[in-house]
Amino acid sequence: MKSIVQGRPAASRGRSGLRSPVAYLLILPAILIFLVFTIGPTVFTFIVSTFKWNWLNPDQNKFVGVANYQMLVDGSQDPPFAATLLTSGYFVVAMVVGGTAISLALAMLLRKAGRINVAARTAVFLAHVTPLVATSIVWVWIFNPRFGLANLVMSWFGIPNIDWLGNSRFAMPAVIIYSLWHEIGFTTVIFLGGLTTISTELAEAARLDGCNAWQEFWNVTFPQLRPVVIFVIVVSSVASLQAFTQFFMMTGGGPGFDTATLGFQLYQQAFVFRKTGYAAALAVVLFGITVALSILQLRTTRSLGRNA
Amino acid sequence: MSPTTGTQTNAQAIRSGRLTRPLRIAGGRTWRTPGNPHGRVGRLLQPAAAVAVGLLFLIPILWMLITSVASDADVFTFPPKLWPAWDFSNYAKAWGKSPWLTYFGNTVLIAGSVVLLVLITSLLAGFAFALMRFRGKGVLFLLVMSAMMVPQTVLLIPNFIIAQKLGWYDTYLIQIVPWGASVFGIFLLRQFFLTLPKELFEAAEMDGAGPFRMLFSVAAPLAAPSLVLVALNSFMGSWNAFVWPYIMTKSDAVRPIEVGLQAFYGTEGTDWTGLCAAVSFTTLPIIALFLFLQKYFVTGVYGTQGSVRG
Repeated sequence: MKSIVQGRPAASRGRSGLRSPVAYLLILPAILIFLVFTIGPTVFTFIVSTFKWNWLNPDQNKFVGVANYQMLVDGSQDPPFAATLLTSGYFVVAMVVGGTAISLALAMLLRKAGRINVAARTAVFLAHVTPLVATSIVWVWIFNPRFGLANLVMSWFGIPNIDWLGNSRFAMPAVIIYSLWHEIGFTTVIFLGGLTTISTELAEAARLDGCNAWQEFWNVTFPQLRPVVIFVIVVSSVASLQAFTQFFMMTGGGPGFDTATLGFQLYQQAFVFRKTGYAAALAVVLFGITVALSILQLRTTRSLGRNA
Repeated sequence: MSPTTGTQTNAQAIRSGRLTRPLRIAGGRTWRTPGNPHGRVGRLLQPAAAVAVGLLFLIPILWMLITSVASDADVFTFPPKLWPAWDFSNYAKAWGKSPWLTYFGNTVLIAGSVVLLVLITSLLAGFAFALMRFRGKGVLFLLVMSAMMVPQTVLLIPNFIIAQKLGWYDTYLIQIVPWGASVFGIFLLRQFFLTLPKELFEAAEMDGAGPFRMLFSVAAPLAAPSLVLVALNSFMGSWNAFVWPYIMTKSDAVRPIEVGLQAFYGTEGTDWTGLCAAVSFTTLPIIALFLFLQKYFVTGVYGTQGSVRG
């Protein structure tokens, strides 16, 4: 504040206003919050994962080295870690492949301006802004085995009532349908943004050359959109890997452990079964996968910046 | 004969400026060739498909509203009745069964405080990282960015322990302070400040302005649109948060609306008319907010593209 009072001398010292220790004061609140509640706890998770952690009495915490990680590998836990990974893989692959394909198709369909398209975009994005707890409840009702809307649709095709969320074959597809409904608005908007940056002249030229719509999309539009596609794939892998609330609300990880994904298992092992050390080992694995994907994301974002 | 070859020829032609005119024929109508479905049929099909997609995505929300005004007799039949009895008493019934006002108040208090903190921390840190020079800036910025890589579920276990050590378990504080800084916010503000012309600050410096005055009287007012984005992003995140407040609290007095809704679902799990009424009155405020501020929501998505999600 001195420089304001003194005026001239401050200016003569050159860029003193912006080269000032005040900078540390400005970043302090943010850095402090991240250190205490994000970065510190992440390190702490690694420590907890090497302990047999006693929930009620921390004095009885016992260092066990890599024993919790051994439990991951030897499959001694219920459900075995490999099964959890497979369940997560099922969900992530379905969300990434289905979400990317559908939202790209919707973006292509709704890319032109106009009242109807704008209204349809609003409807698609509206699903994304609804709270997961709230709309999960609505979809549990839609998937109701006796009175649900989903079974009404099935009955039109002559299919008898399905116990969607209680049947090990249909529970995961049902959660995936809900999650696609919820997430597609976000990725569609990203694709719509990507489409505005690509050249329409090339597409018109392709048409002039006699390309049909599919050839035009596959050979002209898609290659230009590739960085956006990669970005969407990475973002939706990270998001679906961490999905929790819809599983908590719709299936509780069941039936059995059929929908117990990595994120859900982490919660269940830590806060229901109270196996904190083992859950921390799961958290370390989840963290590792997320870091790998985030690094991929940073790279693609950088290439996005170059192209867009 | 592959279409790609033809395209590239044309593309080169376009770049050289030769083909720009013949691409459109007189009257401004787009050139169409045989085999191109963007013709008459396409012009009718596209709006029909757009309407169908829009309706498909709205059906769950419409179904929630319909069930919320259905009678119990309407609900427990198959096939389900698509036209309800318009029984609005479900709302009163659901409203009377839980401390909804407390939940709403808590959510507004928590989300409001988070937004305020995030705006302050993002503005300060975004300014420093964009425009100021200090030792360790690169490392510290990397530290901030690395925070985005940590999934929330990973943080649950250690923060649950930290919350108890601090005596913050089952308080507002544990729901507010940890979310008071946002990587998205800092990144977005930094990006914005980087776009401002250097002369702006050089002029202020010549006048002898210190960093605080530059920040609050020059930079902050210009950043208003970015600040709206950051505020909206934090507000939505805070309103929709579930697992964190669910784990970190236990009493209704401090619990937010989504946790309250989950508890209501737990106790009233088969009262579908009452449940849909509760889902409606807890979700319609968010839907209304979205419809009013749609423009910002969409810009927010593009904002995340440049940095991180959430």
